[in-house]
Amino acid sequence: MPKGTSPGADLSVRPADLERAGVWLTGHGLADVRPTALLATRLEVRRRARLAASVLLAAFLIAVALTYTGGTVDGSGDRRWSLLVLTALVVGLVLAQSSLDWWVRRVDRRAGATLPRRAAHPVRLGWRTVLGRPRAAFAVATFAGGTAPAIGTLTLDDPTARYAAVILLIGLCGLAVGVVVQLRHVLTHPVVADDEVSLTADVIMRVEDARVGAAPTAVWSVWSLPVVSVFSTAFGWWNAAWVAFIVLSVIALALIEARTARSAAVARNAMSAP
Amino acid sequence: MISIDAASPVPPFEQLRAQLARQIQDRTLAVGTRLPTLRRLAADLGLAVNTVGRAYRELEEAGLIETRGSAGSFVSAAGEQGRERASRAAADYAAVIAGLGIDTNEAIRIVRTALTTGISVSPATHNPKEA
Repeated sequence: MPKGTSPGADLSVRPADLERAGVWLTGHGLADVRPTALLATRLEVRRRARLAASVLLAAFLIAVALTYTGGTVDGSGDRRWSLLVLTALVVGLVLAQSSLDWWVRRVDRRAGATLPRRAAHPVRLGWRTVLGRPRAAFAVATFAGGTAPAIGTLTLDDPTARYAAVILLIGLCGLAVGVVVQLRHVLTHPVVADDEVSLTADVIMRVEDARVGAAPTAVWSVWSLPVVSVFSTAFGWWNAAWVAFIVLSVIALALIEARTARSAAVARNAMSAP
Repeated sequence: MISIDAASPVPPFEQLRAQLARQIQDRTLAVGTRLPTLRRLAADLGLAVNTVGRAYRELEEAGLIETRGSAGSFVSAAGEQGRERASRAAADYAAVIAGLGIDTNEAIRIVRTALTTGISVSPATHNPKEA
């Protein structure tokens, strides 16, 4: 049996998906492995889920921006309604993200059920292995860095700035919950593998899912909402602080990317370590 | 890596038990290593939780793993102690062989026969403390 094949798998995949799986394997140092229907199916559902998640986030940001501007149309605005709508948007975002995760896991589970042979790790892979301390610390620092100024703004007398800060905090809380839910799914969903190669590919996918989930792009996006314009008109230094926050976090992310192991190396280490 | 073959005549719990026992004995799984939870490993391997539970239970009875309440199951130091005990027994055996003047090849043949046909311990040599 060639490496990575799944003789019992009854998965119908398009040639384009198999081709993409081959490119993915080559990109992760597994060029000698033949792409299988199992791998192509799993990668394709992830590709679609990530695309849907990006559209979802864009829609969320637009909706939050519209809620904010709607809440300030008449000066005071009916801000209680705006906050209710915003809270509903955040809950909707988390639920929609969970649904996407559930969809990915369902496809994984069905793919796994077709395997006559199942492989797994004898030890549990934790967040330190899958995500790594630097990325976890960076994600926490990014959320903290985004949240602290907003909390500080709540102490000010300016009701417009306070309203903007509340919207920002609700948005950040929603994103934080979404990230935690996504990471929990990454760490707990069952392995889908029938040999060493597919087990390695499973770890790579897990690592990439975790890294994408913990990336601070959503926090940057939330901060770029029209909310920021309120801060910038009220306080000139907010703009400078915001630019510094973005620049520093981009540099930190670049350093983490450069200095930490690639997902394929993490997977090989996880496979070789007890 | 652990793999379970559904087409194998060996029951799944025995496949799992044997692979974990081998990995513990050859130190692929070091003492103190935390094993996956029953539910997690069952989901990963496509097995029933009870099947994994039986494998864990037998490993625990053999002293290879220990369960620390809700903290989970860990590779036990007893596995290492068992290896040390075997080493001590081998040293004793080597001393007996040397005393009797039996050559090395013959001594290895005796051990191999004992391992393949099963070890019968006579009451005279049985030490209750070792049981």
